[in-house]
Amino acid sequence: MSCAGLNPKPQASAFRRNPNEVMRLARMGCSHPTRLSFLRQLLRRMQAEGWHFDRPIWDIDTNGVGRAVYRAIGPVRTYSLVAFAHDLPPEARSDRVIATAWDATFALFDGTPTPADLDRLAANVPLQEAGRVSPRELSLSRANRSVRLFDHVLERLAKGAQPDAAMLLETGYLMRTTAVYGSGKFGAADRSTIAQRPELSGPFQAEMLSVFLTRAFTVDLVEHLARARGGDQAARLAPELKRGLGVGNSTGLGMAPFLIRHPVLLNNWMLAREEALARVRAQSSVGQSELGEFLTALEGARENVDLWASAHDIQRVKLTDLKDSLERIAAHVAQGWDQTAPHPWDDLWRWGQDALALEGQEALLAAMLEPHGALIDGLGECMDADEAAHFPIDGTMRVGDLHAILQAHYGWALGTDYNERSQCARFWYVSEDKLEPRLGQRHEEPGTERELPLDTGRQAAALWQVLQDQPDDLPVAYLLQAHPELRPALRRAQITARHPFSEIRDNLIAADMLPIDILRCKLAFFGATRFDPRSDRWVRISLFQGAPYPEDMHRGANET
Amino acid sequence: MKHDPRTDAGLHLSLSEISALSARATRGAGRNWGEAEEASEAACWLARAGLDWASALLEVLEASNDEADCALRAGMLLADSAACPKTIAVQKGMMSCPCFLLPFVARMAELTRQRTLIEWGDTRVVLAPGEAPRFDSPVRIAGRAEVTIKPVSNDNTPCPNWLQTHRSSVTASQHARLMKLMMACTVPSSASSLTGAGALGGDND
Repeated sequence: MSCAGLNPKPQASAFRRNPNEVMRLARMGCSHPTRLSFLRQLLRRMQAEGWHFDRPIWDIDTNGVGRAVYRAIGPVRTYSLVAFAHDLPPEARSDRVIATAWDATFALFDGTPTPADLDRLAANVPLQEAGRVSPRELSLSRANRSVRLFDHVLERLAKGAQPDAAMLLETGYLMRTTAVYGSGKFGAADRSTIAQRPELSGPFQAEMLSVFLTRAFTVDLVEHLARARGGDQAARLAPELKRGLGVGNSTGLGMAPFLIRHPVLLNNWMLAREEALARVRAQSSVGQSELGEFLTALEGARENVDLWASAHDIQRVKLTDLKDSLERIAAHVAQGWDQTAPHPWDDLWRWGQDALALEGQEALLAAMLEPHGALIDGLGECMDADEAAHFPIDGTMRVGDLHAILQAHYGWALGTDYNERSQCARFWYVSEDKLEPRLGQRHEEPGTERELPLDTGRQAAALWQVLQDQPDDLPVAYLLQAHPELRPALRRAQITARHPFSEIRDNLIAADMLPIDILRCKLAFFGATRFDPRSDRWVRISLFQGAPYPEDMHRGANET
Repeated sequence: MKHDPRTDAGLHLSLSEISALSARATRGAGRNWGEAEEASEAACWLARAGLDWASALLEVLEASNDEADCALRAGMLLADSAACPKTIAVQKGMMSCPCFLLPFVARMAELTRQRTLIEWGDTRVVLAPGEAPRFDSPVRIAGRAEVTIKPVSNDNTPCPNWLQTHRSSVTASQHARLMKLMMACTVPSSASSLTGAGALGGDND
């Protein structure tokens, strides 16, 4: 599906941001989750459709080893998380892709697995990348315990006491996933298998469902072990503490190239969010209920930033900016915001553009979207993409038109001297050992001849250079005949002409490029909170923190 | 996609795996990334059509690097120029692995909105816009052959619809050859890359 089919809101067009502003890494690296984030979309659908959940198998021993099955039963189909719990020695616990063992491993099964399915999965899922799954599986994942918190919770519950609330809030999860593979990885079902199912047609819905059920497993596991240790005196986790726990995720460079390699998809994510912002800014009044929900969202953001800790220097500065910005927003909303302006939300937004750091501006965006579900939630339907439809190159395009596209959309790339060391300091490649994307130092490491084509700015500039010598009326098919190496850049330019938010408008091989900015943008679209870089290319985050559990869904619990 | 020595009898691959393996193998064979992207797309098309995509791709990649004879390059030119006023002339005489032209001729048919017939040897395939290929004969994958491509206006025989899902397997030998090509575009880890790849500090916390 594309955004073209949605009922447009023409009055919003005057309020749309320019891609040159939106698609810069500095801003993308300040992205916050919104109500259009993928996990929020999943929760809304499950609540609206009255999904119910059960746990038909719980075969975990007193050491925490065994298997369990969690089912999510929708109106048409059932999906099952098959979980395997393992006894992992501490020295083997690693979040990196080089790990070969984990505290728990999972597969999301399409339907209800038979005993034969479970045996097949038991032989493969614990091996992760070294195993094979089948088209009946929609995702493959694993998780490690947050040892300190897990042990603390276990110890307290076993004694019949509740864990320390501050400790729970500080870490935010009992276990963190270290990879959630979907879309055909390791033999799993291709995206095309599920793309026509309404419940999974949105981006990463199968992966989000897997994580949602994994969260329930993490709590069940710690309570089970507490009962095994404490017997009748063991307590269950108090609901308010339980709700504050999410599932962590630890991830690195592997997911960064995704946004570069899927330009139409990136465009549709960004476009939906930007259209949502424009629609809100175009409103001619502030309703009382909207104001109340906005204030609640702001208060939630302020509480969140108080709990959001990071030891990373860059993130600490950002958190300071965010805290300061949220205080400014609160003060301005209370005293300076003219709610009688012709477009009051736009008035607030324009104030924020001048008064707030990027962190604060993007947090304001998320808070402004929050009360406007009726206005914007439908945009979630257009965040997927039929990428194959945009693959063919239009060979009839004239060089003059391509020239104009580059001028209009690639100004950020054309003035750079890519021979300067700092502008080409990095190169992306695939590692020999794990076949994972890596980022190397061009002037210090071997392998540049095997570079991945993620140097989008440099390629656009090379295309631009070649165009200078070509007649304007030449079809680009002839250009490609002479210069086949320009093909990726030419395709991207044609896509960008139709999808203005498809290109990250920064030099992705520059010395000062921060991969964590790409990661944060993508993870914010997932719905991640507590973004915590552990290096400039490795982060931890939390998913579903504060969200209902499966057993809460039928009680009309709020989605957040 | 990781190689699993336990399944040397052959592997069933998803389209996603075929795509990644084909792109990297093509690049590893010394082709540029533009060709790699096209080869990947073409391999997936052949797999969806139920054809032996791995044999076809390997024949293209392991053939001599003769531009005029290469079905991948010829196919790219055909598809790029399909809607141009004057189609770029490509050799449509003897060609190695004509089967690999099929995805590109399908794109031609789509761009020109015209049913197109491609023939080589005893093979005859009709490609209609938006539909799956219609094989009027068994498809010969390997070898060189004289190729004819022409629009057909008087063909009203229905073409099949695409299946929504598919599976495609490769033999152990095919997989090993593709993996070998793919590994040629990977880079060994360096001390520097390993240093920055994970968290600073341990994960056992």
